[in-house]
Amino acid sequence: MTLLRVKDLSKHFGGLTAVQNVSFEIHRGEIVSLIGPNGAGKTTIFNLISGVYTPDSGGILLDNEDLVGRRPFEVCQKGIGRTFQIMQPFPHMTVLENVMTSGLFGRVPKISMRQAEEETKELCQLVGLGDKQKAFPKNLTVADQKRIEIARALAIKPKLLLLDEVMSGLTPTETGEAIKLVRRLRENGTTIFLIEHVMKVVMGISDRVIVLHHGEKIAEGTSTEVANDPKVIKAYLGEKVEESEK
Amino acid sequence: MDWPSFFQSIANGILIAGLYAAVTLGLTLVLGVMGIVNFAHGEMVMLGAYSTFWLFSLLGIDPMLSIAMSGLILFFIGLPIYRFTIRPILKDPPLNQLLLTLGISIFLQNMAMMLWKTDSRSVITSYSGMSLHLEMVHIGLTRLITFMISVVLTVLLVFFLYKARLGRAMRAVSENNTASWLIGINVQKTYLLAFGVASGLAGASGALVSTIMYTFPMVGFKLSLKAFCILILGGLGNISGALFGSLILGLTESFVGTYVPEGSGWAEGISFILIMIILIIKPTGLAGTRRE
Amino acid sequence: MNRSFSWKTVILLSALAIFMIFYPKIVDSYFLHLTVATFLAMIMASSWDILARTGQVSVGQAGLFGVGAYTAALLYQRVHIPPVLGMLAGAILATVVAFFLGYLTLRLRGIYFAITTIAFAEALSVIWLMTPRITGGAMGVSTPPLFNGNREQAYYLILIILALVIFVVWLIESSRLNFAFTAIRENEEVANVMGINPTRYKVLAFLISAFFTGFAGGFYSHYNTYIIPYEVFGLGISIACLVMPIFGGLYTIAGPIIGTILIKAIEEYLRVTFSYGHQIAYGLILVVVVLFMPEGLLGLWKRKIFPLFKQPHRV
Repeated sequence: MTLLRVKDLSKHFGGLTAVQNVSFEIHRGEIVSLIGPNGAGKTTIFNLISGVYTPDSGGILLDNEDLVGRRPFEVCQKGIGRTFQIMQPFPHMTVLENVMTSGLFGRVPKISMRQAEEETKELCQLVGLGDKQKAFPKNLTVADQKRIEIARALAIKPKLLLLDEVMSGLTPTETGEAIKLVRRLRENGTTIFLIEHVMKVVMGISDRVIVLHHGEKIAEGTSTEVANDPKVIKAYLGEKVEESEK
Repeated sequence: MDWPSFFQSIANGILIAGLYAAVTLGLTLVLGVMGIVNFAHGEMVMLGAYSTFWLFSLLGIDPMLSIAMSGLILFFIGLPIYRFTIRPILKDPPLNQLLLTLGISIFLQNMAMMLWKTDSRSVITSYSGMSLHLEMVHIGLTRLITFMISVVLTVLLVFFLYKARLGRAMRAVSENNTASWLIGINVQKTYLLAFGVASGLAGASGALVSTIMYTFPMVGFKLSLKAFCILILGGLGNISGALFGSLILGLTESFVGTYVPEGSGWAEGISFILIMIILIIKPTGLAGTRRE
Repeated sequence: MNRSFSWKTVILLSALAIFMIFYPKIVDSYFLHLTVATFLAMIMASSWDILARTGQVSVGQAGLFGVGAYTAALLYQRVHIPPVLGMLAGAILATVVAFFLGYLTLRLRGIYFAITTIAFAEALSVIWLMTPRITGGAMGVSTPPLFNGNREQAYYLILIILALVIFVVWLIESSRLNFAFTAIRENEEVANVMGINPTRYKVLAFLISAFFTGFAGGFYSHYNTYIIPYEVFGLGISIACLVMPIFGGLYTIAGPIIGTILIKAIEEYLRVTFSYGHQIAYGLILVVVVLFMPEGLLGLWKRKIFPLFKQPHRV
């Protein structure tokens, strides 16, 4: 069952082509990874899907509903949650308040403050922030701040979760916990689309992998298929990208 | 078609544009070098105007000669202002910088009111009323001299920025202050002197202002708004943009003054209307941010 | 962010209310006048703070204040509308103006927004000066003394409005609006991605802020009996609106209140000492706050002074 369909998506910035004629589908319940060398256009794809950028051409359909032209808050309310590569929690809100904000505004139909608070407490437990709810983000570790990002995205009970490089900067233990969390989320019914550089993670949890290079899709398939694809190998080796394997 | 009025409008517009450009130079320098919009710049101009006025009234020094003196006075006023209020907030969010320079502006406005009351002062010299009569236009002598001095100031500034060592340091710092620091430029000292020079320019342009307009505590505020308008018109932080913006504003005001009924009153509002129109259409100003 | 009431709060508030009701009986006319002026300033300070909560730092509240003032004054002059209705009309018209201004300035950030608001107020000032037949121009507009000079009634009116403003701010703080406003202020793009419609909340804040600022203007025109464009559209008003909340502590209920009281006290002292330039304190305070106490007085209290009162724990 197709949840997200992206068709011939293109985006230019001035003279620079960020994304060119990219098409792919994501099915319900899948975990799909988006990989590619730096500057390949991965975050641009996320920004296009979540409505932060408007595509120059192409279509984005969520459950057959057209998302192009919708503003980010509308996309969110349609059921797409995302994290940001550079973590941006609200600095003057506690962890609890950060996550509650999503729950209060991203959910359709709107829920009461009480319900948002309860759900937030559960979410914080789920991601591992249970005892840090009253803390302020700036006092927390990188891993915890990532947890806030994930919890915020989850608070809207998304159909599709976009995770932007959540594994970078984590210790092996933390990475293991993150992988477990992602699997648990999929079991709970969330479809997950993630951008990742940590190949071990990508190979380990993805049902499918999509490879982007210079804004174009150059490969798609299972992790093994993609790993052995000569085009992919050339793209990575040719670009001298360091794989951040921890 | 009333050609004389038309050419007179153009002449007036160009002449006043010169003054506006002189006023905006310092603001542009500070914005370009350290990325700060100095809301108090207008008040430095105001202080320059007052200093010329007092030099003229008390010591009989001709305003055109006291330009250098007013410039110097404001240079030395600008240095401690930078050191104690601007330097601490260089890395602060822009809103803090806005509030701080706004605070300095309010402080200086009110200080002027306390010291010198709110009366308007004029600097009237022996040649104040004279004008050149060309074919179809009259050119006020004072305005012409002011314009020429503004041109000189601009040329001096450009020379300074491109030929003088300190000036080139300022340009380097405005482009990339980490790289500048790495090659040995004392960034802090450069900032300090840039602010001083900008204040000096404000003081000098204030001297010019005193010959053309009334000198009163709020004159700086009025000019600030025109300067912001010019920045927004011409691109933030570069001199050619400031000149371009000054011309647009000067000419627009002049034409409105001539052709719109009661235009001289409405012309005052041109800068505000331009600001609002431009920013609403293009929220980052006409040319965006280009620093030089 | 909770709506729970402790009995302590209820008792304190009731005591305060009773005190405020009997206040006019125990102070002289001069102090009553000062109080009315202070309450008026508190309304404007709190209104500014509401707008600032969404990250929109206005340096042009005078535009809305002036619209309110002139609406009330001109309506009275033309059709002898009862003053309080005139003030209401002023509030409504200011809100309408803010609606358009709010939409037009949505994409403006920080300094650009501030400059636009300054330009807005100044533009109104020029328009007023150039249309004397409609607006009275530089000569201004007079109205007879409010409530026939009965300062007590003026006091109660302004007290009610002030209570209303504080109630509105409290409502905002204890509802989901607080989350929306804060999120937009801290990071509008992220807030958007999280389901918050920035347009809706930014404009809403503008409307609420404008309503009370416009009412304040309308009140001022009647209370002062005479208004001129230079004053009611003037920078002084815009600056006052922002210095008080910044001094007291932004994004709080008590901050604008405390900031106003202190600044008004300083200003009054300066006003009787110097004939001009008594707003010099505003400038000084702004500089001092930005350099040394960015969280205002409340922040200073919370961080530096209150902890001194805490007893150290013996281990």
